[in-house]
Amino acid sequence: MIEFAQPAALWTSLAIGLPLLAHMAYRRVTEKFYFPSLRFIRPSQIPRTGKRRPSDIPLLLLRILLFLMIAALLADPYWKSETTPVSEEQREEVFLAIDLSPSMAGWDGLEEAKEKALAIVNQKKGKVGLVTFGHSTLDKVELGQDNLSSKIENLTHDWTRGNAQVMLDRVSNMFSENATSRKLIIISDFQQSDWQTAYSNLEELGISFELVKVGQKGETESRRGNNVSVVEARAVPAGPNKIRIWSVVRNWDDENKTVDVELIAGGEVKASEAVSISPLGSAQVQFVLKEGDFSEAVIRLEQSDEFELDNERTVWLKAPPARRFGFWMPAFENDETDEEKSFLKTAVSSAGDNGWNRWEWDQDKADGLRLGDDQLNMEILMVLGVGKWFEDEQLGEPLKVFLNKGGVVLATPGEPFSSSVSVLKSSDLLEYNFVRVAGGATRTRNPFRIGALPENSELADVFAGKSARDLYLSAIHKFGILKTGAVVENTEVPLRDREGRPLTLVKSFDAGGRFVFLPFRMNTGWTDLPLRNSFLPLLMELTQGSGSTPSSRAWPVLEPGDYLIGDQGRFQAVEPGAFRFEDQWIEVVLSSAESSPKTLSLNEISDSFGGDISAQKAQMQDQLKYEEENNPLWMWFAIAAAILLIIEMIWSRPRLNASPPTNSIHA
Amino acid sequence: MAASVDQNLLDPTHLNRIEDFSLLARVVVDGAMPGIHRSLRQGRGSEFYQYRPYARGEDLKLVDWKVFAKRDELVSKTFQESTNFTVCLVMDVSASMGYVGKRASCSKLRYASMLAACFSYLAHRQGDRLGLFAYSNEVKEWIRPRAGSGQLNRVYSALHGLKPEGENAHDFGWDRMVSGLPGRAMVVFLSDFLEAEDSLAEKLRFSLSSRYESLCLQVLDPDEIDLPEADALRFAELEGDREVSTSPPAIREKYKDDMSGFVKDLDKKLSAVSAELETLTTNQDLGHALRRFLGMRNRK
Repeated sequence: MIEFAQPAALWTSLAIGLPLLAHMAYRRVTEKFYFPSLRFIRPSQIPRTGKRRPSDIPLLLLRILLFLMIAALLADPYWKSETTPVSEEQREEVFLAIDLSPSMAGWDGLEEAKEKALAIVNQKKGKVGLVTFGHSTLDKVELGQDNLSSKIENLTHDWTRGNAQVMLDRVSNMFSENATSRKLIIISDFQQSDWQTAYSNLEELGISFELVKVGQKGETESRRGNNVSVVEARAVPAGPNKIRIWSVVRNWDDENKTVDVELIAGGEVKASEAVSISPLGSAQVQFVLKEGDFSEAVIRLEQSDEFELDNERTVWLKAPPARRFGFWMPAFENDETDEEKSFLKTAVSSAGDNGWNRWEWDQDKADGLRLGDDQLNMEILMVLGVGKWFEDEQLGEPLKVFLNKGGVVLATPGEPFSSSVSVLKSSDLLEYNFVRVAGGATRTRNPFRIGALPENSELADVFAGKSARDLYLSAIHKFGILKTGAVVENTEVPLRDREGRPLTLVKSFDAGGRFVFLPFRMNTGWTDLPLRNSFLPLLMELTQGSGSTPSSRAWPVLEPGDYLIGDQGRFQAVEPGAFRFEDQWIEVVLSSAESSPKTLSLNEISDSFGGDISAQKAQMQDQLKYEEENNPLWMWFAIAAAILLIIEMIWSRPRLNASPPTNSIHA
Repeated sequence: MAASVDQNLLDPTHLNRIEDFSLLARVVVDGAMPGIHRSLRQGRGSEFYQYRPYARGEDLKLVDWKVFAKRDELVSKTFQESTNFTVCLVMDVSASMGYVGKRASCSKLRYASMLAACFSYLAHRQGDRLGLFAYSNEVKEWIRPRAGSGQLNRVYSALHGLKPEGENAHDFGWDRMVSGLPGRAMVVFLSDFLEAEDSLAEKLRFSLSSRYESLCLQVLDPDEIDLPEADALRFAELEGDREVSTSPPAIREKYKDDMSGFVKDLDKKLSAVSAELETLTTNQDLGHALRRFLGMRNRK
């Protein structure tokens, strides 16, 4: 049936009144009357009164038809084919993918997304489904569900850091196989941190896509404005009975900002400080509180901005848990081993203090690890007197698991020395060969001395001046000489004797684990090092490395979506805040990446989805489909109007030279 | 005799149905107007007329001996006596003569042709020589005057072939016609004489001579007398390109005055050269014209 794209233009058909009036009001004699002579015939006024009927009815009808054709032409007629009702299975399937990452809560992104999603749901005729995503696919409403609109209206943002890749990986499975067309409409702010690694060749999967960018309030050149966030907060001891709360505030805007940073503890604002932050810069704020009054505090920005979720951060004011260490030793009694254990236990326990930097001997966990419980964790495991017992108990594998999880192991040789080396070598923990035990024959011989530390080594930074002198005066009475034919990867020799023979081997593992092997035992029979002032710093440096400082000690800090495995269960971080889990005090903070105002352009996103502007392509497909269903008729109407116009012109043309009729009289 | 005339036989409406001019002329002359013309002169003419019983004393040259041999009866042949008088019919066949209005039953040319056929028949019956000259802007027909029934048939045939076309060119036609006239003649003009009042009188000056008679029969359609009945008309000239849109009721009186003045002026000018004018309309019966013709002929 014929329909009109511009039906308002049909009002122009009222113009048919013009020829009607003209034919009634203006009387022109068009028919010629041939007469013998016009000699005495004078022109006169042709009477118009008394003529109420339009003249030249056929010509009038022709002109009316011409005007109607033109009016219909202006109304853009098209033939709407009688579309056969498409079965539910054959109709277009559309999935709305709405980004619920925390950044959508800012810049009015989520509200705008809801509006646009509802508009799309109301417009689309085919099946429409919904999938929401943050770090992973959050929720899914199957195609054609009635409660889609209410679902959309009730959407709230998620706390996990956005990651569109999971949604893109799953999207191909969401459509039914017999759908005639599949379309994915992604509604997101396309924040750079969430989308920069997203990739999926949707075109290859037969899915057209449309990108709807929301939450662009104040955006210029892919950067949204007006956001200041608390990106870091930490509590550290600040002298006797005091805690310093240290915070970093970042200005994401490209203009200078001045904000008031508040410290809230016990429900009250304990302190406030105004801080000016340069464009795209950050500033530090520090508060000092008395230790013990409060267990947690909140750092908050008083001024609101476009993204509110990152304007506060909760921090524990309690000291972090003690670091734990334990021993693996041979089961049988051994004086040397006991003495060594005593030295090390005393040394490590005294390395910290009673507050924020505490070491605690936890032999239970060490025994648990020895029994193969790889869920347990501790900072330092000391394997004393490595020997046949180590091999018999098959401790090589659990030790490597511990090392690969980032654990630190300090190992000392047992008797005989060659056995220790072969055990470690068979466990892939050591690649050096045993040569002999130096100084083992006599005690009267001059002891061995530690050689000069290499200038650029980590130990050289620690042992400088008088402290180095103490280290160099250490006496080593005997030690195992180790040798290797080639450079061993991941193994370094931080300490050598004056002849360059290794006195310490440190093997690094991927997750930060360190295996420290001393070719001598920590008792006075082998060395007086445990009696030296430099022993404790040396031990800490060898086991902890340069990255470990007392000030970095803090509670575990997680982001929403992360989890922490404890002794009895698992802690799942959901929302920002301060939480207690078993003996842990956990801080959950919003991912700072969500605060970033940078977004990707639609062209960049489209490139990641197959390198084609598929949204435009989909629109073209829609257009083609529209044209298939609606055949434009304007050309036919134009041809008809042109033909009518030609007929009208021929009909009403002057006919001066027509042959005279023999007898005719017309009015 | 006149009382017994059937007037329908003179009505052009009825006569228009008769295609054959020979029949038409006999119907009109012998049927509708018997005795109106002078009886045929029988004598020593060259053309056989009829047989009659021999009377004593008659010249035996007149006896038809072949008949006597067949029928044993003496009969004498009589011959039609020819006169020394010529009747010349001059017909205008320009396009304007083709006009036929609603009130007329035939065109002006048809009406003029019917008259011409009757005149021809009358002339033949009286033994006159007969000629026909038809013209528009060129000579359409020129049958030089002769006597005899063959001439009459030629005239009939010529009348049958006349068609109204071309513009009239009276000066040209009359000059050609006058130059071919015999010594004694009666010239009958059949035309609407439109635009001819100035030149016609000049051309007919020969009528002043006692040897010539000129009868001008002006054939007009009733519409030309008082315009056709219509509210408005876009008049186009039959012999030209001019057009005039007008309302006939608005100009009718003035038109009639102008037309009447034109006819009077024409009559006056023709009278000055001893030519007679008779205005006829195509819905008028033919009797009046025939009487005028015979009246003028019998004066000679």
